[in-house]
Amino acid sequence: MSSASAQRRIDAAGWLWISPWVIGFLAFMLLPMGLSLYYSLTDYPLLEQPLWVGLDNYAELLRDEKFLASSWRTLVYAAISIPASTVLALVIAGLLCTKVRAAGLFQAAVFLPTLVPLAASAMVWLWLFNGEYGLINRVLRALGLPGPGWLTNADWAMAAVVIIGLWGVGQAVITYVAAMRDVPESLYEAAELDGMGPVRRFVSVTLPMISPVILFNVVTLTIGAVQVFGAPFIIRSASVGGDTSHMTFYSLYLYDNAFTFGRMGYASAMAWIQLLAVLVITAATFVISRKLVHYRA
Amino acid sequence: MVGPVDITRRAAVGVMAAAGAGFVLLGPRGQRDSSGGKLVLDYWEKWTGHEGRAMEAVVRAFNESQSRIHVRYLVTAGVDQKAMIAIGGGSPPDIVGLYNYNIPGYAETGAILPMDGFDSPLAPRRERYAAAVWPILTHPDREGRERVWGVPNTGGTVALYYNRAAFRGVGLDPDRPPRTIQELDEMSAKLDVVDADGTIRRAGFMHSEPGWWQWFWGFYFGGTLYDREGNTSRIGDEANVRAFEWLARRGRRLGAKAADRFKSGFASAYDSPLNAFLDGKVAMVLQGPWLANVIGMHKPDLDYGVTPMPVDAAILRPGEPVGLVESDVLVIPRGVRRPEACMEFIAYTQRPDVAELLARAHFKNSVMRDVSPEFLSTHPNRGVATHNAIANSPGGFLAPRTRAWLEIKAMFDEGVPKIWNLSDPPREALGRIHERAQAALDRVAASARRRGQVKAQGAS
Repeated sequence: MSSASAQRRIDAAGWLWISPWVIGFLAFMLLPMGLSLYYSLTDYPLLEQPLWVGLDNYAELLRDEKFLASSWRTLVYAAISIPASTVLALVIAGLLCTKVRAAGLFQAAVFLPTLVPLAASAMVWLWLFNGEYGLINRVLRALGLPGPGWLTNADWAMAAVVIIGLWGVGQAVITYVAAMRDVPESLYEAAELDGMGPVRRFVSVTLPMISPVILFNVVTLTIGAVQVFGAPFIIRSASVGGDTSHMTFYSLYLYDNAFTFGRMGYASAMAWIQLLAVLVITAATFVISRKLVHYRA
Repeated sequence: MVGPVDITRRAAVGVMAAAGAGFVLLGPRGQRDSSGGKLVLDYWEKWTGHEGRAMEAVVRAFNESQSRIHVRYLVTAGVDQKAMIAIGGGSPPDIVGLYNYNIPGYAETGAILPMDGFDSPLAPRRERYAAAVWPILTHPDREGRERVWGVPNTGGTVALYYNRAAFRGVGLDPDRPPRTIQELDEMSAKLDVVDADGTIRRAGFMHSEPGWWQWFWGFYFGGTLYDREGNTSRIGDEANVRAFEWLARRGRRLGAKAADRFKSGFASAYDSPLNAFLDGKVAMVLQGPWLANVIGMHKPDLDYGVTPMPVDAAILRPGEPVGLVESDVLVIPRGVRRPEACMEFIAYTQRPDVAELLARAHFKNSVMRDVSPEFLSTHPNRGVATHNAIANSPGGFLAPRTRAWLEIKAMFDEGVPKIWNLSDPPREALGRIHERAQAALDRVAASARRRGQVKAQGAS
């Protein structure tokens, strides 16, 4: 057998092996993306054929106050939740890396909430945030503080969604713990000989050494924050009669347009803007991180 | 010797063959045409729990009543959205249980079949249905002809449920509930229990509880929201402004922050034992007949009464109660293979005995014009006569029948709480909703024109 023929057979085998993924990618990712790009340029009520309208949907979005408000609300959420999640996860991971008894148990406890389906945990949070019967306000009242209307007051609703998001910080904690345990002990010993205390060691040794993992988590958190949907959707559904406008995040407004108002073309235009926003933010994160992230040789 | 490439290929082919065989043997099946020789029809419905069980009993009774058709009851959450996707994708169920406000969108797009074209014994007839229910079922088709698109399987009207014990407690006559908005205000003021620091312990009446119909207050002042002929919004009409000014006055009386704190303690689900009405937090609440079931489940000893929602004194007409009329509707999607068989099942659900059985099981009023004496005398909801009267009253009103309705409703859902909590003056807030609603109506009409539906509603 010639070497060219053998190479072709190897290539064919390679394609055969990855064909399930390739077919899946083409059929369930690239094709829908292409179609949604086309739909974004059409008037498509789902129950009728799409009709070409050019850039009308994009032009309408620029005039749509609710689109602008939901975009801003989502950015604010991202600006609060990403740093808060990152700092909290790092602190918890740092504590879990200290020599404590039953560290594995604590790790499991931190990770466990990420295994609970969001719909189930959101129902629990609805009760925790209940103004009268909720545990949070009961504790606040016991401390002599007036408990706010977490879900009925626009000012507190954002805080509630952020807190629910922080509940799922366990995934990041696990990756941080793994990264921290991978930092060479010799670096800590050298830092200790140089007279560094625990905080300085964490800032000057641990953080630079795990910075690639932090970057990874920040990127995934960014994507998640821009697409935030589950918690506000459930809270909004359960907050009928109150001011629910503060729960209309970007993805919820997209969902409303697609499946409640039957405006699939408009929703597709929103989806493409969302994708572009994620790409831009992610690219910016990578550019900014160049001087902050240290990759081991 | 066997090379690595040969092994890889063999393994790959083997795995794929196994996967293919598994798919063929165990994979999804298309709809079966028959079940023991019967034609199988898939029926998507929203109901679970006791409502679902009642409908399943109807389906079972139909299946046993004849030997040609077998209906499969499939509980489908978000049924209107899923049906839209299934019909758009060309794979619809045979029968769908939608909401009344879905009819315009489904009808104008030709997503459902008109029912007035079936053989006369099966076709729905106007004279059988309650006066305010019939218009729910009709809408212009693509050519602008008014057609019948569905039948109601159950319906509910909205009335005022009031706590008779609370009435007695403040010296009000529980047999003389409010009839006018002015009386409602006076009684609410007596029923309000507010601490010196403004903390609300009990509200006589709260517009935001349950808050399902933020849009309908103007109807109780003689207003309307939509002119169907001209496809124009009437949201900014004076009657609506007066209604929302009344709403704001009530919000001001209770105090925006205090009312907000008070409502934050309500259960989020209406069927919770901690429902604000059951819990004694709100003495009068607007609700549908299903509330009687919740009361029966969680607080059967609650002494309550049911009366039509009071109206502005200027439009009070004895014997013509004003109230929202809603209905669940059965429709046949386009693309089904045996519409006549679907219609046979649907016609079965419209038999007076079946309709009454289902309504009683759901604690709801009847959607039919005439009911049997037993229906009223044995009904588990003590307010059924009131609900029935609204369904048959000239004062019974519907949600605006336009494809843009859910968009407009969302505008109210977001705008009205701001009026209630005094952050937005009623006239200005309604003016903005009016402008946005008209823009949505115009956009829908423009879309219809582009599609050549020149005679369709709102497109002429």
